[in-house]
Amino acid sequence: MRNPFLALLSTGIITQKGLFPELPLDATGMPAVTDTPCTGCGRCAAVCPTLAITLGTDAQGSTVALDRGRCLGCQECVRACAHGVIIPDRTTRIATRTRAELVCTNRPNTAVPAPAKDGMFHRSIHIRVVSTGDNAADLELTACTNAIFDLARFGINIVASPRYADALLVTGPVGRAMREPLLRCYAAMAAPRLVIAVGTAAISGGLFAGDYSEANGVTDILPVAAFVPGDPPNPWGIIHGILLAMGHPAGCGL
Amino acid sequence: MIENFAMDVAQQAKLPGWRFGHLTARNLDAAHLVIEALLLDTNSGAYRIISAPLAEGSATYPSVTPLLPAAHHAERAAGDMFGIKAMGHPRWKSLLLHEAWPPELFPLAGASQVTVPRAPYRFLEVHGEGIHEIPVGPIHAGIIEPGHFRFSCLGEVITNVEIRLGYQHRGVEKRLSLAPWQQARFIAESASSDTAAGNALAHAVAIEQLLQLTAPPRAQALRTLALELERLANHVGDIGAICGDIGYSVGSSLFPPLRGAILALAQLLTGTRRQRYYILPGGVVRDLDETGRRAIKNGLAELAATLQKHIPLVLENHAVLERMVDVGRLSAELAADFGMVGPAARASGSGYDARRAFAHGCYPALSPTPARREGGDALARTQIRVDEIATSIAIVDGLLDALPDSLYRLDLPKCLPAAQVGVGIVEAWRGELIHWVTTNDAGEIARYAIKDPSFNNWTGLGIAVRGNLVADFPLCNKSFNLSYSGNDL
Repeated sequence: MRNPFLALLSTGIITQKGLFPELPLDATGMPAVTDTPCTGCGRCAAVCPTLAITLGTDAQGSTVALDRGRCLGCQECVRACAHGVIIPDRTTRIATRTRAELVCTNRPNTAVPAPAKDGMFHRSIHIRVVSTGDNAADLELTACTNAIFDLARFGINIVASPRYADALLVTGPVGRAMREPLLRCYAAMAAPRLVIAVGTAAISGGLFAGDYSEANGVTDILPVAAFVPGDPPNPWGIIHGILLAMGHPAGCGL
Repeated sequence: MIENFAMDVAQQAKLPGWRFGHLTARNLDAAHLVIEALLLDTNSGAYRIISAPLAEGSATYPSVTPLLPAAHHAERAAGDMFGIKAMGHPRWKSLLLHEAWPPELFPLAGASQVTVPRAPYRFLEVHGEGIHEIPVGPIHAGIIEPGHFRFSCLGEVITNVEIRLGYQHRGVEKRLSLAPWQQARFIAESASSDTAAGNALAHAVAIEQLLQLTAPPRAQALRTLALELERLANHVGDIGAICGDIGYSVGSSLFPPLRGAILALAQLLTGTRRQRYYILPGGVVRDLDETGRRAIKNGLAELAATLQKHIPLVLENHAVLERMVDVGRLSAELAADFGMVGPAARASGSGYDARRAFAHGCYPALSPTPARREGGDALARTQIRVDEIATSIAIVDGLLDALPDSLYRLDLPKCLPAAQVGVGIVEAWRGELIHWVTTNDAGEIARYAIKDPSFNNWTGLGIAVRGNLVADFPLCNKSFNLSYSGNDL
């Protein structure tokens, strides 16, 4: 049998050094809206499975607003847009502090980003994860803890009880049966405490919003400190969201 | 006839080569229902549906479960969704909808249909001197989906565990019949989003069967690549996770990055690490160019070499073997009785692999020899994954050398045909996955039933942990690695 310790050493350092690398050209991320003139043809809105795109008109012409909080990242709108108004976005810094910032438009952005601040958790944070129905986001979060992404290097730890957690990280759309367990978990945490919504389902319910299961995400249930869109988000996107919630310099560009 | 329904289903399921697929109900109109069972012929790849209308003004039917235990979860799920009761079911209670839901809410029941109200949920109690209960969940300790486990223990030994799921219920099946069928694929894929390629493929096969068309050869090959890369990534990840649960940190640190490497290959193929939004009815959304093909081929070769070095560190380590052997043993008979599928069933001696029987991707033409072990314990379930990793690598490698030259996507007609059935059966990484679609007279999806591989396998886990230490539950659980959202829908 080979020596396991030699095997561990033989892999060398595999942790990604450069933070938030852009997605490779052949990968698809979230869509972005450019200021290229929009003809208002409406093809993008028609193909969107989660009704994330709203069209309108103003003095300068057609407007298009894409709500990443409802967007899966399926790229159907990018394929449908013949004019290059909606294009793929390669950035992995996709998280925001406010719900309003998730809406991209072809006009100058009026949503005022919340001021970056040096939060009290900026050096270290302990996170309790509650999954409510999006196991792909769970797997991407698990990936964040492996040696490639190495979540621990930012002082981020996943813990097994709400009692010693600073933040509640929610994946999935929070259907009716998970609402009370989630609220109880939050109630068991000591203040100050944060909530991080990971994945489009957690932000708005995504594909599952509305109807009898009442799976509309965590945004209307608890105060959310950071939103990570995507179904599922890229691991770097998840790390970005946690760092934003912490007020960590690496996430906030401080 | 409803009186003979149970007998007919059981007889058909017990014919040589046949197996029970799924059982559910379907609305005929606002007041009437049929109960339907899907039976699969593993020799010819055909299926048969046995239907029986419920008696006028009645919301009950004779249970199939006493004759065919594999139907026990399906009947309970139909009870929750339609408000119909299987009379004579040995353990009748809700499966998906518990106290968080109004007892009179039956999401799929017709507007003027008779229903049987849901009774309050009661756990099975084990009595006797020294028996104590340990309730765990719904929220668990790690990054894992929610479910409630009620252990009845004698000291440290589990005498029974009742697994109560349903916390992830999001109304998937109802949404699938409400959405425009062209967009149903997004919901179908999210039934269990860690099995995106499997679910999308089962959906595509079902819809293509309805439309009576076949995806072009290149699309079939690309779909097979996606399905096998998904299997590869999850099996490799599982080996790391199993090592984590036995405290073998060498394995738990070496394997997760390898899964990452496979996800990078999947991203080359499909555009996303989790293979989302790639497979669709008619083909796949994008082609694979020569650069991408070569990159996947080289990446795979590198991966295979690394795995060859790392797997012996697990399977030839005596501490690891001792920790897994005889833990969570499931007998071949019980695995078969409860309709277990996938690697978990093949670790208990089953030879069933949907890739050898049912048309999806390049199967069954490209028919791999199923991995098969007799042990039925956590070790056998780990070895099965190692065997299947080798098979999947060979399949992907072979397909990359011989990608057919054709279109990769067909244009589809605007409408689905009226009153037809399409069934997609796929060997996803957890096992046989069924998407069963029925259209109404207007050509709309009237009923979309999904049977996730975990649906029956959860029973297997509950049986396998009996007589084991409570402390071994995480290992048993991980060795099955079942989907909560796929079960709860």
